[in-house]
Amino acid sequence: MRPQHAKRPFSIRRLLAGGWLLLLAGAAVLAPSETIIPDLAHVSQPPFGVGHWLGTDPQGLDIWQALLQGTRTLALVSVPATLLTLLIGAGLGSAAGFLRNSGWQPTWRSLLTGLLVGLAALAQGPRLTPASGGLLVVTVGSWLLLGRFGFSRRRVALPVDTLVLGLMSLLESVPLLILVLAAAAVQRPSLGGLVLLLSLSCWTTPARLMRAVTLQVSAQPYLEAARAAGIPAARLLAAHIWPNTRHILLVRFPLTVALLIGLETTLSFLGVGLPPEVSSWGQLLATIRLAPTAWWLVAWPGLALVSTILSLHTLGRTK
Amino acid sequence: MKQLFRGFVVSLSALILTFCSTSPDATTSLVVRIRWASDPDNLDPLVVSNSSASEVANLTYCSLLKASEADNDFVPWLAEAMPIVQWADDSLLLVSYRLRPEATWDNGSPVLARDVAFTLKVMNCPGLPTEMDQAMFGFIRDIRLDPTDARRFTLVCVGQSPDHVRSSGDFSILPEYVLDPEGQLRSIALPALRQTSRPVPAVVVAFARRYQALELNKHPERLPGCGPYRISDWQKGRYLTLARKTRWWADTLSSPPPVLQAFPDQLTYQIIPDAATATLALRRGEIDLYSLMPAAEFVRLQQSAADQQRLRFSATDSYEFLAASFDVRKSILRDALTRRALSQLFDVAALVQATQQGAAVPSVGLISPRVKAYYHDSLPLLRFDPTTAVSLLQQAGWQRRGAGPWTRPNAQGQPEQLRLDLSYRTGEPAYETAARQFSAAARAVGVAVNLRPTEQSVLSRQLRAGATDMSIRTFSGNPFSYDFTPLLHSRGIGASNNTGFSLPASDELIDRIATTDDPARKARLLRQFQLLLHQERPFTVLYFLRYRLAAAARLRVPVTGLKPGYEAARIRVEVPQL
Repeated sequence: MRPQHAKRPFSIRRLLAGGWLLLLAGAAVLAPSETIIPDLAHVSQPPFGVGHWLGTDPQGLDIWQALLQGTRTLALVSVPATLLTLLIGAGLGSAAGFLRNSGWQPTWRSLLTGLLVGLAALAQGPRLTPASGGLLVVTVGSWLLLGRFGFSRRRVALPVDTLVLGLMSLLESVPLLILVLAAAAVQRPSLGGLVLLLSLSCWTTPARLMRAVTLQVSAQPYLEAARAAGIPAARLLAAHIWPNTRHILLVRFPLTVALLIGLETTLSFLGVGLPPEVSSWGQLLATIRLAPTAWWLVAWPGLALVSTILSLHTLGRTK
Repeated sequence: MKQLFRGFVVSLSALILTFCSTSPDATTSLVVRIRWASDPDNLDPLVVSNSSASEVANLTYCSLLKASEADNDFVPWLAEAMPIVQWADDSLLLVSYRLRPEATWDNGSPVLARDVAFTLKVMNCPGLPTEMDQAMFGFIRDIRLDPTDARRFTLVCVGQSPDHVRSSGDFSILPEYVLDPEGQLRSIALPALRQTSRPVPAVVVAFARRYQALELNKHPERLPGCGPYRISDWQKGRYLTLARKTRWWADTLSSPPPVLQAFPDQLTYQIIPDAATATLALRRGEIDLYSLMPAAEFVRLQQSAADQQRLRFSATDSYEFLAASFDVRKSILRDALTRRALSQLFDVAALVQATQQGAAVPSVGLISPRVKAYYHDSLPLLRFDPTTAVSLLQQAGWQRRGAGPWTRPNAQGQPEQLRLDLSYRTGEPAYETAARQFSAAARAVGVAVNLRPTEQSVLSRQLRAGATDMSIRTFSGNPFSYDFTPLLHSRGIGASNNTGFSLPASDELIDRIATTDDPARKARLLRQFQLLLHQERPFTVLYFLRYRLAAAARLRVPVTGLKPGYEAARIRVEVPQL
């Protein structure tokens, strides 16, 4: 006999978790967009006082307003970063699992052109804009130049699986927090920069999961039959692989959001995250160092943070 | 068995004797651990760029004179007495010193007039980082050594200001025997080194190369001074340890004056940038002395019964002020109206209350209101007034459409936005609060401000390179000398004038203030100078700080209004009253 609560799709726990996240979404939308004016006449004021019902921080910022703005920042960082993380993870994981080490055999010409374009893009770095014609010149130039050599038409088996696994091992060999901290300490990131930084450092777990499940699905007899029937790889992926693997992404979504919220808050707490003028829960938590006896500086953002991460884990587990 | 027992007794006795003999040393050795907010960064005596470096220089080197708040003037330090001053024609000042006969270097050789001459030559040596020294001591044109007395010399200074008399003795004397053992620079006259039009002699080029090869910025221990301490260990960004010389020349004096007293056996400076961490370290007993403590923390510790038992608290008015400094070379800050508009966005009264618990003194300018004779009390104090700020911005040519940014054409006719980077030292509550308050007020009137909390050494580099639009930082001075050349004169640009401000009128006023002897005339000139700065606003003074100091209860710390707020060399253990 199965336990009774397993039959109910909406347990109290899930309901609470979902309700809290909805509240956060509402807060993110309704949060004031104008800068909070510090009330210097009431610095470090305890909660439930006049005008500041959750209290103020040592710089006179209203905790309630800062929490609301922090919620918006959290949403603006964690949700796009999660989507990008899952996109990178899903793309690379699926490619590694589906193509393995011999599934993709490009010509030397296209491979080397791709490499040169990649190197040019890296060299151009932040100056790279869609309007810049440099990359187009490199692409066309290298394509035409390589076409003159006989070997360029030969095909080569690209070890996609080995390359992706190697990249994952490399990234995972450095503890995640240290990796993100080191990158953020070099240059304080903007909002977009932080999204990119978090995504580029956290994609390995979804990629591993996607690779594993793609390998599993690829070995099914109906896929062997589809390959034998000559169905193109892109259609195989779109029509037969992804419908059977995408549930992994849905399960990972709340857990990845929780992970990224934790990381963003840690970075802001340590003072290497977002700029000081952007409110965040981590910054609010960090103000406790200026007023160690002001318990409310830890209590409210801490409570919000714990509730959010617990809610996301609850949804992630019961999906 | 008997032999074994005898051996045991002998060993035990030896052990007891050993402990007995070492215990007095252990109890009399005084080690003082002091908190520093930032690393000295560079300990080359020619490049003293922050207060930590200045504190080390004052403990490892001696200058001829030293500022003393107790005496309300400079007092003789390496000099035997205050100098004898003669006025030669209309523009020259002859300042004659004699060095203390007891003063010696670490190798036992006496400190002589030729060491002073050598120091001045180093301070003017082409190829060395002497910009700051030339800005501060450029008025010393020559030195004349007394042929009959190796310790007597006369400095030839331009201008006839009493301030120059004091400033002429305010540089660290360097040992010739270390840097130029063969005395190769002796043949080069000081005026010859100052002539930039003539080719640099090979001897001087070789000397500059030798000096640079010593890498004193990283290895200051290679250049021992004649001060009471030597650098025994320095881990950049972590700590710096100064050890008391076992035989310092002033120890031979029967009753040394306060400037020649040095009690602690070891001074360890712990670098703790974050104020809260420093407070925690003090409460845990990991440091003994915390100067410039944030007001809220200071009050909290004073009210704690446990901290009252283990700590001793002192506070005194200082000559250090917090200011918002503008880089006037930046296109958006090139005009005084914009700078005045931005200054109106600081709520000084509220900041004093919030960050200093009301215990700081707002000022109209860089003269402390405590110096009543020179303070321009007719000027209005800065008032928080966003409406006036908007009006001033409009007068400065800035335009704003709706809720958009303020724009105006730059010198090339291209539109530029009023968007500022505001830098300040991270981890300091007063700076952070002022920056946040300003940022919020500026955004409310449509001026975008990017806050840049920055580590001290990085901030210093940014300021020198002109890489920030605005900064919030402190400036310190003393009430005896009013030479603003390093800070605001065109001669200080590229060295210590980080605002880049200079006007012919301000240069002239600075020169006249420095060369004026008559107190009434000096007061008039200083008032004119304050008025000019009030209009031009290269920086806006927010308030003069009060030094707050908490120290371990066992220590007796001499407190002073001059930076760093205490006299480290004169810290002693409190003798219990019987």
